[in-house]
Amino acid sequence: MASIPHSLSASCEPLPNLTAHTAIPASRENLRLAIETASRAIPSQGPIGVFVFENPLLALEHLQFHEALAESERFFGCDSYFPESRYRAEIAKGRIRLEKLRYILNDELGDRAQEVVGGLTTRLDLRLAMLQYPLMTGSKSELAWHMAENRVLKHPGTDASAAFRTQLTAETRHWMLRDLRGSAAPFWAKELLQRHESHRWGGSHPEQWNLARWETVAIEVLWKVCLEGVGPLPSFEKPSPLPIRHRDLLLRAGGPDCDLIVNEILIRFTSAFLDQGLSRWPLPSRERGFLRSFLDLYSQHAGPVAIAGLTEAARELSVRESGALDLIQESLTVLAVPPEEQGDYLTATLLSLRGWAGMVHYLETKAGRVSCPVPLGSFEEFLAVRLLLDRLALQSALPDVPIERAAQVLRERLPAALPQDTESRAYIVFQLAQILGWIPSRLFKLKPAEWEQLVREIETFTSHDRRRVFQKAYEGRLLRQSLDALNLHRTPLLDHLGPETSPPTTRPAKPMFQSVFCIDAREESFRRHLEESCPEAETFGAAGFFGVPMHYRGATSAHFAALCPIVVTPRNWVTEIPVAHGRKSHHQRARLRRSWGWLSRSLHLSSRHLLPGAMYATFLGGLAAIPMVARVLFPRLTGSLTRTAARATEAPATQLELLRDEHQPAGPEHRQLGFTLDEMTEIAERSLRDIGIVGRFSDLVIFLGHGSECQNNPHESAYHCGACSGGQGGPNARALALMLNNPLVRQRLAARDLDIPATTWFVGGQHNTATDEISLFDEEQIPPTHHESFRNAVHSLEVASGRNAQERCRRFYSAALSLSPNQALRHVQGRATDMAQTRPEYGNATNCMCVVGRRIRTRGLFLDRRSFLQSYDPWTDPDGKILARILSAVVLVCKGINLQYYFSAVDPGGWGAGTKLPHNVVSLIGVMDGATSDLRIGLPWQGVEVHEPVRLTMIVETTPEIMAGIIANFRAVGRLFDNGWVQLAILDPSSSNILTYKEGKFSPYEPLQESLPSARTSADWYRGWREHLEFATIEGPGT
Amino acid sequence: MIDPVELLAYLATAIIAAPLLLVLILGSLAIIGTIPSERCTTRLVQGLIGISFLATVAATGIMILYGIPRKSVILSDWIILGHDYHFVLKILLDPLSIVFALLTFVLCTTIGSFVSRYMHKEPGFYRFFVLFAIFVLGMLAASLADTIETLFFGWELVGLSSALLIAFFQERPAPARSALWVWVIYRFADAALLLAAVTLHHMTGEGDFDRLLGTASWPSSSGIPHTGSASFLVGLLLIVAAAGKSGLVPFSGWLPRAMEGPTPSSAVFYGALSVHLGVFLLLRMGPFLSESWGLTIIVLVIGISTAFFASLASSVQTDIKSVLAFASLAQVGLIVTEIGCGLRWLPLFHLVGHACLRTLQFLRAPSMLQDHQKIENAIGGTGPGSLSGWFPARYAPWIYRLAFDRGSLDDMLWKGICRPVISLLEWFNRLDEQWMRFLGGEDAPDDLPITRITADTLNAAISSAPSFDDTRQ
Repeated sequence: MASIPHSLSASCEPLPNLTAHTAIPASRENLRLAIETASRAIPSQGPIGVFVFENPLLALEHLQFHEALAESERFFGCDSYFPESRYRAEIAKGRIRLEKLRYILNDELGDRAQEVVGGLTTRLDLRLAMLQYPLMTGSKSELAWHMAENRVLKHPGTDASAAFRTQLTAETRHWMLRDLRGSAAPFWAKELLQRHESHRWGGSHPEQWNLARWETVAIEVLWKVCLEGVGPLPSFEKPSPLPIRHRDLLLRAGGPDCDLIVNEILIRFTSAFLDQGLSRWPLPSRERGFLRSFLDLYSQHAGPVAIAGLTEAARELSVRESGALDLIQESLTVLAVPPEEQGDYLTATLLSLRGWAGMVHYLETKAGRVSCPVPLGSFEEFLAVRLLLDRLALQSALPDVPIERAAQVLRERLPAALPQDTESRAYIVFQLAQILGWIPSRLFKLKPAEWEQLVREIETFTSHDRRRVFQKAYEGRLLRQSLDALNLHRTPLLDHLGPETSPPTTRPAKPMFQSVFCIDAREESFRRHLEESCPEAETFGAAGFFGVPMHYRGATSAHFAALCPIVVTPRNWVTEIPVAHGRKSHHQRARLRRSWGWLSRSLHLSSRHLLPGAMYATFLGGLAAIPMVARVLFPRLTGSLTRTAARATEAPATQLELLRDEHQPAGPEHRQLGFTLDEMTEIAERSLRDIGIVGRFSDLVIFLGHGSECQNNPHESAYHCGACSGGQGGPNARALALMLNNPLVRQRLAARDLDIPATTWFVGGQHNTATDEISLFDEEQIPPTHHESFRNAVHSLEVASGRNAQERCRRFYSAALSLSPNQALRHVQGRATDMAQTRPEYGNATNCMCVVGRRIRTRGLFLDRRSFLQSYDPWTDPDGKILARILSAVVLVCKGINLQYYFSAVDPGGWGAGTKLPHNVVSLIGVMDGATSDLRIGLPWQGVEVHEPVRLTMIVETTPEIMAGIIANFRAVGRLFDNGWVQLAILDPSSSNILTYKEGKFSPYEPLQESLPSARTSADWYRGWREHLEFATIEGPGT
Repeated sequence: MIDPVELLAYLATAIIAAPLLLVLILGSLAIIGTIPSERCTTRLVQGLIGISFLATVAATGIMILYGIPRKSVILSDWIILGHDYHFVLKILLDPLSIVFALLTFVLCTTIGSFVSRYMHKEPGFYRFFVLFAIFVLGMLAASLADTIETLFFGWELVGLSSALLIAFFQERPAPARSALWVWVIYRFADAALLLAAVTLHHMTGEGDFDRLLGTASWPSSSGIPHTGSASFLVGLLLIVAAAGKSGLVPFSGWLPRAMEGPTPSSAVFYGALSVHLGVFLLLRMGPFLSESWGLTIIVLVIGISTAFFASLASSVQTDIKSVLAFASLAQVGLIVTEIGCGLRWLPLFHLVGHACLRTLQFLRAPSMLQDHQKIENAIGGTGPGSLSGWFPARYAPWIYRLAFDRGSLDDMLWKGICRPVISLLEWFNRLDEQWMRFLGGEDAPDDLPITRITADTLNAAISSAPSFDDTRQ
């Protein structure tokens, strides 16, 4: 890894005084500040049990998106774009178009695009050729092999046009016979002619050579000319800066990798320190903190240690009782890190084990999230131990060098940078000459300055630049498709976009039922299918905690869990309890559960003990083969058996303890649970007004949260609801429905000018996104008057489930494309119960846009499960207050999801968690690869393989004035748009005009297509196809 | 009516021939570069292993039906020198070999089916099944072996495929490093087995087990009385071979390193089969080992110390695969102890039960979080155990440290065995250089600075780290 620009992390917003940071941590305070700054550069992710989606480059959000990516590649050492080969494959597939590449290049270069380079070609054409064709390069010997193997000097390459081949042969022949035979001809030409004249089979004299021979000669001449032209040029490569850490210097100087032994010790110790209950014996003296317990442990004389001198150092330090900061300072002094480099040095040191460092930092700052919290100061102590180990390992690797001189000695011993091979530089020109039609005689006449310009131009258009252009074209195509879809999609309702048409005239005055889903991209298809199967229904989208932030404990759970976005701290506690008549059976079942729990726990533990394990293995072990074989060979059958068994121990009918007395403070104890009437009214009003449902309630309104289900998958929570911090959103939906059914709440709402008709009934429920099952809560409370409409609604939901499963199955290669909805349901349910299944579902993969607006703008539009959908009615919000509060939640949540997917997809091994197959659960907080590795954060490859990494496009139905006001006043959101982390477009509330936002300005958008493709039903459109689909209008079965 | 004994010979050949055919088909397809689809690969594997499985079941049926306690089948005469010196590939059907072969089938077919879904779309899908087929062939050859050369054949295949599966994710350096370490230990064990084979041939001119175990059926066979130091040496070498293969003390350090491969391969190889192969060898040789007090004591010492060491280590591991690996090892140690006590059926039962149990546990290792949550929900919070309940508080940190560092066995092996060997080789190298310089008759140019620092630092690092410096990040 190259050196780390400390400025990068230093300019993070919440620490405004850091730009004035003198970078000389002479005092303790400065050192502490430097550590604090370094800590921000680490992508932090919490325990895997509550997977939180966040931008791994959070620390760089003050930069423009592509600038930040360039910075990050340098100091994280991960790729932030796809490899070039992948983009070229996308060109071949037609996903990236050449016109788009040309457009982007023109846009980036401006006037410089048409400048002629080296008198040969325009800059634009040169760059375009470099994008379009894979240019082979390599070291001298590698090239020699490649050229011989592929007979490169025999014929022009396949990328050369036929016209060029003819011209090359003819002109070169003429040129050689005319100019290159005299005594003034260059040496290489004479040598070449001579060689061919004395060829074994060819004619002896050039005039007798046939065309094939001349072609070979011409191509050889081209190669020679390129070599001659490039030979004398200076290097245009920027020299890479010297590494800053001693370990990197040592590696470059040909030494061993000190991090191997340091990491091995540190990983094992940190995992023991952070352990939440996986190991049987906890770390002794853990309560004394990271540093002390480390020193205690390594003061013991128990066998040799991999790092020489560790035991002695630990003994000495535990006697000295110095603090972490002192120890860090001491290590920096011993390692002779100059004061101005200390910040960068600390950042680089922390990044070498970024997963673990980030976890220590996360657990220290958000202590409430785990059962064994980590004391304050652990992060500093972690760093202190790391530096101590680093310096001991360095010393033992360089025993004869005083350690304070190590950096200097190593720098002296670094091998000199090798000069660039002429061959490898010339070979690129050689290939480009064939593609762009530069004949040798023309190249031969280039002046040295022109050669320099040409080669400089080629070599400064680096791989990173090329990938950036590719990515822009890749993303631009999808952006245009999204905007076109919104612009061109017309439903009969779109002729009446004004406020007076809400509710629109063509729809029955009152929908049969309404249902509110999470904004999640997975619900897009479900809503579409629901509306297709029941055109009289209306659907809405809202963040899946439905505005009810709470600590929730289910009837069968032991602990509270926070169900709300990670940025919100809930202030209310809610529990689920059995209803009065179910108490007895509840207690019986609880006992049953407890005995089951004890049994499985003791089996679990005893199998790990020596003697009980022996009894267990000898007498019962053989029986383990039965469940194993059954679960692996018959996953669906076993799954349904387990479910039936689980149902016997499930809590019977339950209710939520939701109403709190006004005089009680909120808390987790018995009488403090729930919300007061005022709080409920507040929540209810906000939720209803946000989605714009006010004033048009149907008889039945269903709120559906969502969660997922899978087996054998540590990343399960990444499939749950992102707006519930990786929890299941059902309880929130249930709580909101209960609040809205409360007559007292309705009374208070009426006082606030929000009338809910007495005939309206609310129901909460949950959508299982893996099995596509819908479960609804508190059905028994539904009044008899609503039974029929409830039955109809349930029927429509069931139909939609099957169709949704069918649409999802098209993505799974192990499901046939011909599955019927019912077969598809069985297939997805089988996936969820199969412990060998690494892809129970694809989560939010393929997301690319978020529409905030009325459903009529997207109803009947096939968005391929790629869009977050938030309901919002601009006509009820003239001053943009509602929009501001919606956006400040929605943008942050969707950005986190989108960018987590982006980075995990472009570099699955670097930013993502890599493949799931070797994952190993450690300390109950994360996964490692194999027995010791850095903590793997990010999403696993199996979850992102179908994702197209593009930035999120927000399409908001509002006016430019309101939007500009929000961008100016809510900077947390505004700066994401300004810096391009999220792209923004606005949709006019009364027409289909779209304005795009770029660099602070709104400009009108012209659609590229004339009209959208259309299909009768969704199934007609997605049938028979596994890849991404274009957006289309679904006309509905009626037409 | 076919003679049952003759039929048995055909079936025995089929048991080995089917997986051999599988290896040949998969291997040659890979060599000519046509990789079949996932479905086709799975079918092929299931079909041929299925045939082998059916042949085993049929053979078992015939043996029970006709009351044949033991049948050995000669597959081929490899080398015959004179009258009394030969290498023969010969397999044996008896209760022990059949039980072990059936265990192999149950676990391998389950894992095969698991992997066909678990590794769907993985770039190395086909490579996994090639190695898997080699592993199955090796396991069957080793479990059915009736001569030490047949055993060696299977033993090598198992070792090779295991090491390559550890390095399955070859694009990362850590798996390659771990695989190399395991490979070195395996080679050490293999060398011991090879020496045992040579010694045995030297003693008797052949490698047939009945020279050591008599011709009675296992377990009632009784070893032939030892005739001197040669047979003691054979026993000792066999114990070393078994200890290396099963990760017994002092070779236990490789076990957690073997977890770098995909979860199912860790499950079947280190949880269930590979790790029991050494035990199987001891079980097979039990009657022979019991004849000598010295060997019995060595087996007991190794077994007991492994059991205690591994159960200590398993108590402090914080990642689920290492916990299971050491828990597994503790049971293996116990099984070895049982063998050392002269028991036969009990260790076999223990082995089979343990293999099934661990495979299930390893396959479910990624569920650790969910399981933990479920149990907590069912019985409320569960406090961690405590060390001080087991040991006096004064020694607790020391014990913890010992377990935490896994007894520093790797470091000891490195310093005790590898380092001296390397020093010796380096000494020869220096001698060679001096000799060359002397012959050259002039002052040879100094080493390049870069090579000097490499040599220096390598020395320093190697002496302190059991890791290999040729694979860098």
